[in-house]
Amino acid sequence: MANGTASGSTEIEAIVPPRGRAARTVLTSGQVRFRWLITLGIACGAIVVFFPFFWMAITSLKTAPEIQRVPLHIAPDHWLNLANYVEVFKRENFLRYLLNSALVASIAAVSSVVVSSLAGFGFAKYHFPGRDVFFLAIVGILMVPFQSVVVPLYVWMNRLGLLDTYAGIVAPDLVSVFGVFLMRQSIEMIPNDYIDAARMDGSSELRIFFEVILPSVKPAIATLLIIKFMWSWNEFFWPMVVISSPQMKVVTMGLMSFTNMYFIEYNLLTAAAVISILPILVIFVTLQRWVVQAVVMSGLKG
Amino acid sequence: MRQWLRIAFPRNYLDRRKRAGFLFVLPALLFFGSVFILPLAQSIMYSFYKIAPGGASEFVGLRLYEKVLTDSTFWTAVQNTVQLLLFSVPTTVVCALAVALGLNRIANLKWRNLWASMYFLPFATSLVAAALIWQWIYEPVYGFMNYALSFVGIPPQKWLQSLFQVRPAIAVVSVWVRIGFDTMIFLAALQSIPEEYYEAARIDGANAFQKLWYVTLPLLNAQIIMVCILELIFNFKIFDQVYATTQGGPASASQTVIMLLYDTAFKFFRFGDASVMAVFVFVTLMTITLLQWRIFRKPVEY
Repeated sequence: MANGTASGSTEIEAIVPPRGRAARTVLTSGQVRFRWLITLGIACGAIVVFFPFFWMAITSLKTAPEIQRVPLHIAPDHWLNLANYVEVFKRENFLRYLLNSALVASIAAVSSVVVSSLAGFGFAKYHFPGRDVFFLAIVGILMVPFQSVVVPLYVWMNRLGLLDTYAGIVAPDLVSVFGVFLMRQSIEMIPNDYIDAARMDGSSELRIFFEVILPSVKPAIATLLIIKFMWSWNEFFWPMVVISSPQMKVVTMGLMSFTNMYFIEYNLLTAAAVISILPILVIFVTLQRWVVQAVVMSGLKG
Repeated sequence: MRQWLRIAFPRNYLDRRKRAGFLFVLPALLFFGSVFILPLAQSIMYSFYKIAPGGASEFVGLRLYEKVLTDSTFWTAVQNTVQLLLFSVPTTVVCALAVALGLNRIANLKWRNLWASMYFLPFATSLVAAALIWQWIYEPVYGFMNYALSFVGIPPQKWLQSLFQVRPAIAVVSVWVRIGFDTMIFLAALQSIPEEYYEAARIDGANAFQKLWYVTLPLLNAQIIMVCILELIFNFKIFDQVYATTQGGPASASQTVIMLLYDTAFKFFRFGDASVMAVFVFVTLMTITLLQWRIFRKPVEY
């Protein structure tokens, strides 16, 4: 029997060489051309997608008369003209906006990790009455768009005196459904034996959480920290609702102060945009592996 | 009930363990309860009351629904939103699928990652920044778009200032931001397709197109549906891009549902009317999500 299957597979291999190096050597010239065509298409698309970033950076180095040249001149006159960046910080309290955003996004990211990993542990490793109903209810919240609850939330913030405060901006951002989901999935992977062994040693449940659970889900924690920081940093709708005073503005709102209906100084606006995007872009490019993981996971997020 | 009493007053070790599990989950439950469930109930309640600025409210039954749902402004906003959707959702999904298929064909991992991250970059930027960069590209006199089109003999267009071009122009911003997200989901799915399926197809003599049509696409069915739904939900809630650029103009040509909700609630402080819209958005998105679940429950046939 074993002999029969073995000879069968070699027969097939004789007709169809296995993939990999052997397969690549038999590519026809048409296939090679096809491959090049695909690479070319992907490269062209990538350049088109990247172009707005390039254009933003280029514009931020130009002076006001330069950007109003007709016909348009692509390269800036001076590649090291940083006057627009200086002007952004002079014209608006942009440093304050950056710090506001950094503060709010950090609080949101950390609190999200703490609450989500606690909840993820509870959902993954304990059997209490109503557990599955509660979990389904939390996942069901994905169906509730934030815009549908924004009016009552505003009324609550007003009653609690949290309008125009950091607490007000960060309140609805403290935990996200995605976080609970991600942490439950990751903690479920931890073998129960580890937890039981810790119990045998007399650890309390909370100590198990800190000493067994948290160290084993470090990648998930990193993922959640990054993605949540990014989401909060880019938040616009809710800050627009709660914030009214200039010194409380977050960076997305700060960008808006460089626009108005009639006249926009695009050289300043693009400089401000570069400043607002840069921190996220640096985090994003250096830690891309985790972000991609989060995105693939959040395919389940609505 | 008895189970709950035993958790409140644990009699033995197992009860205490269950209580620990519940306590781990509790912060998350409290958060989602107070930030989503309670406000959602309040939103529904507000939609039946006429709320005077002084705080007095009066039950008016379905009169607010009648008012909003017979208002042509509201239906214009719905129509604009749907038109935006019809531009952006298919474009995003088709482009992302094409890019993912192309990336998957690039054998060199280093190059593949480089190209992939270029497509992914816009996902990290805030929608506000993205919209403002594009607004500069669309600028009718000094913008890059008209400059580029002048080389192929197309006269300058008004883009965001045109009644007809404004919606496609804004849709392009959404496509640009979302394409990387969808590409990542498709790419992850493509890489999980076992090599044997293609081997089998090759033995049957399938050409590249047949492999795509009869093997790849049916296996990606679930992801394609999921991404479509996610894009539908994302684009239905469009706000930041419009608020940052046209603010609904010119002449309400880019007024969307969430824009109208925001203005109604936080510019005119008509919370009742805004709550009707909030309920409308919730019901619409819930219907879409439930449809998705129905479709998913059907086993995918290969």
